[in-house]
Amino acid sequence: MTRLLIGLSMGLAAMSPAAANSLVSAGPRPNIAGSSFSAAPVDEWNRLSRKDGKNVEIWTRDGDQLNKVTFFGGIPSGKPLVREIDKKRQPLPKVAADMLITDIPVMLESTYRIQYAVSQMDIDSQEPATLGGHKAIRFTYRFAREDDGVRRKGEAIGAFVGGKLYLVTYEAPALYFFDKDVEKYRKLAATLAL
Amino acid sequence: MRHLSRFALCGAGSILALLGPSPASGAEPGLELPTYTRAYEPRTVDERGVWMEADEAERGLRDSPLRIREAGLEAYLREVLCREVGTERCAGVRIYAMEIPGFNASMMANGTMQVWSGLLLRSRSEAELAAVLGHEFAHFELRHSLTGFQQRRRATDAIAWIGVWGALTNRDTSSTQSIIERGIYRYGREQETDADLLGLQYAALSGYPASTPSEVWKNLMAEEDASAAGRNQKPKQKYTAGYFDSHPTHLKRSIYLAEAAAKMPPGGDARAKEYRAAMAPYLPRFLAAQIKRNDFGGTEHILQSLAADSGWGPDLLFARAELYRTRGNPRDLQVAAQYYREARAAGYMGAELDRNLGLALLRNGQADEGRQSLNAYLTAMPEASDAKMIRALVAN
Ligand SMILES: [Zn+2]
Repeated sequence: MTRLLIGLSMGLAAMSPAAANSLVSAGPRPNIAGSSFSAAPVDEWNRLSRKDGKNVEIWTRDGDQLNKVTFFGGIPSGKPLVREIDKKRQPLPKVAADMLITDIPVMLESTYRIQYAVSQMDIDSQEPATLGGHKAIRFTYRFAREDDGVRRKGEAIGAFVGGKLYLVTYEAPALYFFDKDVEKYRKLAATLAL
Repeated sequence: MRHLSRFALCGAGSILALLGPSPASGAEPGLELPTYTRAYEPRTVDERGVWMEADEAERGLRDSPLRIREAGLEAYLREVLCREVGTERCAGVRIYAMEIPGFNASMMANGTMQVWSGLLLRSRSEAELAAVLGHEFAHFELRHSLTGFQQRRRATDAIAWIGVWGALTNRDTSSTQSIIERGIYRYGREQETDADLLGLQYAALSGYPASTPSEVWKNLMAEEDASAAGRNQKPKQKYTAGYFDSHPTHLKRSIYLAEAAAKMPPGGDARAKEYRAAMAPYLPRFLAAQIKRNDFGGTEHILQSLAADSGWGPDLLFARAELYRTRGNPRDLQVAAQYYREARAAGYMGAELDRNLGLALLRNGQADEGRQSLNAYLTAMPEASDAKMIRALVAN
C-alpha cells in the first residue's frame, strides 16, 4: 500500500511543473483570480503560474495532481469556466444570467467532460450554503479522466453574485490524498469573502 | 479506426481505383475469406515489441475505472463479433467495453479489442456495431498493427496525429501517453481500404445486411453536419479542414462500400430489436453522458436517428428534455417541460423527472408549477443526495 502511494505520488508529482509556482503565505489575500474573491489562508499554499482562464487561479500544496484548489472568480454571462482549447469542435458551456444555483455543478461537470476528457463524473451531495454572505451551493463529486485513469474526488462551493459565477473547488486523488488535505481546504474555504 | 474528438475516422483515401479484386481475397470481390491462423505468435523483434506494448495497454484497460464491468455487456459484444467474423476467428479475442463517449472501437496486435460507449450509443442494430467491429478485426487479421507501430515510432517527434484527438490532448499537465492512446494504432490509407473490404466480406457472410457498413459512414456524416449546424458552422468545413485534407471524407468510403456491397448477397436481419434490448440497461447512462458534451445538433441527430428506428420511448423523450433544458434558452425550457411530460406519459418512472421538470419550470420563471414538481420529487426521494438543496430552492 505504502509503495503504491509513493508510486502514485511520485508519478503524479513528476507531471507538475513545480518551478513556475509562487508562494502564498498565511494572512489576508485579496483579489484572487482577478476578482473580488478574498481569503485568509492560515497556512502556506503555492499559486500556479498556469492560467486556465482569465478569472481562474489555482493553488496547491504538493502539486496540482495531488491537491488542487481552483478559484473561478466572477465568470460573467456568456463566458466558459475555463479558456476553450478548441472553440470550434469542443465549445464549452457558458454561464447564463438566468441559471439556477443547481446549474453550477452541472456546468462544472460538462466542462470537465469536454475539456479534460473526463468520461465518468458523478455529483454526489448538494446542499445549501453561503459564500461571502450570498446564497450558495456546496457539492461533492467524483471523476476519472480518460488519460490517467486516476479516480479523483472533489468538493466545491459556488454562487451567482451580480450575475457572475463565483466557484471554488478542491480536488485530489480519491485514494489517500483527498482526505489528507480536505480539512486544509475547508479551513481556507471558511475564510472566503466577496 | 482511430479516435477524433467524437468520431473515430480511419483514414480512408481516394481508393476508388483500388476497387475490384480485394487484395485480401483473390479474384472476385467474392465471399471466400483468407485462411485464418489461430493463436498467432509474434515472429520478429518489431512484432514482439508491438505485442509487449499491447499486453501492457491491455492491463491498463482491464483495470481502468472506465471499463464497464456490468455482467453481460462485454459478453454480448463478443457474441456480435463472433456472429460477424465467425466463431473460429473470434475465439482468441478479449473485448473491453469502455465508458468513453467518442465513436470508436480498436483492436491491438495481441487480440485485445476496446469498444467505446459512444459507438454503442450511436449504433442502431447489431449489424451497425458489427460493421465497425468487423473492420477493426480485419486490421487485426491483416496484421496492420506492425506497420502502425513503425509509423508511430517514426512520428514520435511530432506526435502530429495525436493533435486531432481533441479532448485526450487537453491536459493541464504533460504526461506520458495514456493507456487508452497506447491501445489505438495508426493505419495508412491502403490498410483502411483493405480492412473495409475484408470487413465487408465478414458482413456478407455473417447474415447481417451487406449494405450496413456503408450506412454507418453516412450516419456519421449526417451527425457531423448536424453538429456543425447546431454550432452555426458550415457543415462542409469539417470535411476539409486540417486532418481531413490528407484523409478525405467518409463520403468516398461510404460510396465504395455501397458499390462493393451491391455485388454481394444482400444478407438478412440487422437484429435491431435484439440490439435495443441488450443496450436498454445502458442507454440512459450513455445518453446522459452525450447530453453533457455541449453538442446540441449532434445529440439531437443521435436522438432522432435512434427514434426513427425505435420510436420515441420514455428514455429518448427524457433525454431530449434534458438536451433542451441544458441549452436553456427560454424557448428550450418551454420545450423541455413538454418533453418531460411526454416522457412521463410514455412511462418514464424515475423521480428525477419531477426534479428536472421542476428546475426547467423554475428557471423559466414558472415558480409555482416548478415548486409543485420539486415537491413531488422530494416526496418520492426524501433522502436523495440533493434533497437539502432542492428543499432550499422550494423554500425560496
Ligand atoms: Zn480502420
